[in-house]
Amino acid sequence: MAERLGQIGKLLIGIWIAGIAIAMFLVIPQYEGLGNAGRIVIMHVPTAWVSVLAFAVSAVFSALYLWRGRPVYDHYALAAAESGFLFTALATVTGMIFSQVVWGIYWNWDPRQTSIFVLLLIYAALFALRSAIDQPARRRQLSAVYSLFAFVTVPFLIFVAPRIADSTLHPNCAFIQGSACDGVTLEVGKIGLLGDRKVQLLGLERQGDIITAAVKVSEPGLSSETILRPSYDLAAGDMVARPEFPGLRYQLGLEAVDLTANSALLNIEAPGTGLLENQRTLVTFLAAIIGFTALFVWLLTLRATLLDVQWALAQREGSRL
Amino acid sequence: MNGALEAGTAIYVALAVALSVWIGIFIYLWRIDAQARALKRELERDRERQARDGASGVPRASVTRMSRAEGEPVEQ
Repeated sequence: MAERLGQIGKLLIGIWIAGIAIAMFLVIPQYEGLGNAGRIVIMHVPTAWVSVLAFAVSAVFSALYLWRGRPVYDHYALAAAESGFLFTALATVTGMIFSQVVWGIYWNWDPRQTSIFVLLLIYAALFALRSAIDQPARRRQLSAVYSLFAFVTVPFLIFVAPRIADSTLHPNCAFIQGSACDGVTLEVGKIGLLGDRKVQLLGLERQGDIITAAVKVSEPGLSSETILRPSYDLAAGDMVARPEFPGLRYQLGLEAVDLTANSALLNIEAPGTGLLENQRTLVTFLAAIIGFTALFVWLLTLRATLLDVQWALAQREGSRL
Repeated sequence: MNGALEAGTAIYVALAVALSVWIGIFIYLWRIDAQARALKRELERDRERQARDGASGVPRASVTRMSRAEGEPVEQ
């Protein structure tokens, strides 16, 4: 009975993820400024979240192994770490595709890209460690300890490091509800940083209720400079013109103006901002999180079963594994 | 080539590719899962059989591998 239910569950995972793929391409609307590239968020963010879950599960089973010493816990810890690595690689690849569309380059060592690369290296080192030790008990014990230490870095590398970096183009404020792009308040003549672009507020012009800012934007490395003119409607209290950064799909917004202090709040409008406010996109996004989590559970049990079988066969044959 | 990648049809081509990849992965996982479960069942049956044989007092054979150099048992 349990086996039959398991089979039905696996079949449902297959249908569910196929449904997500269809919804990703045909049901959710295009987002202004992103076109079809915005659809990748349905794959990218859930795979990144599931990778955190997988590394957490790996750490829990590693702790259980150290506590109880049962090889089955080590099998689950390894299976979860491998799944986590796979999902992290998927998040990295989908992020690179998005990066190519939005930033014009697959890899630019953005803090988010660098931190996920370091995370991949940390877990690759776990697999290297395991393959370097022949004695099973010692291998399990050392990799359990390593896995616990490796997990300590996960929240820092995924949630903290990219947010404490001033210069990131990763749209944290676009996709994660509750977080915001703070922007930068500049007085006329002052210089600040938005993403990896240096911005200088050259002046503020008023025509009726419309305030237009002249902002000099410098490319990374100061290779070129452009003057952008975002504007703000004092009567409506809202942004009007939001010009795009040269060569990017990011827009420069004038979010607030203080005429007495002669200063303005400039902000980066990341592509995808407000993407999840659309009901269909939000439902598909949540369905993707559920689907990928279920897929992870399946992969975890399948890989752990294979490791169990391998171990049992090795015991029967009398060899050490 | 261009016809397949026109704005109107490109999204269906991308969907078809994504679905094909997923169906391929799903079938692969399904087959491995079935094989792994079959192997596990077989191992469990084997273990039960051994336990039963041990309990019923059936004579058991044992094999001892000897070291050629020293003539001592190295594995039983």
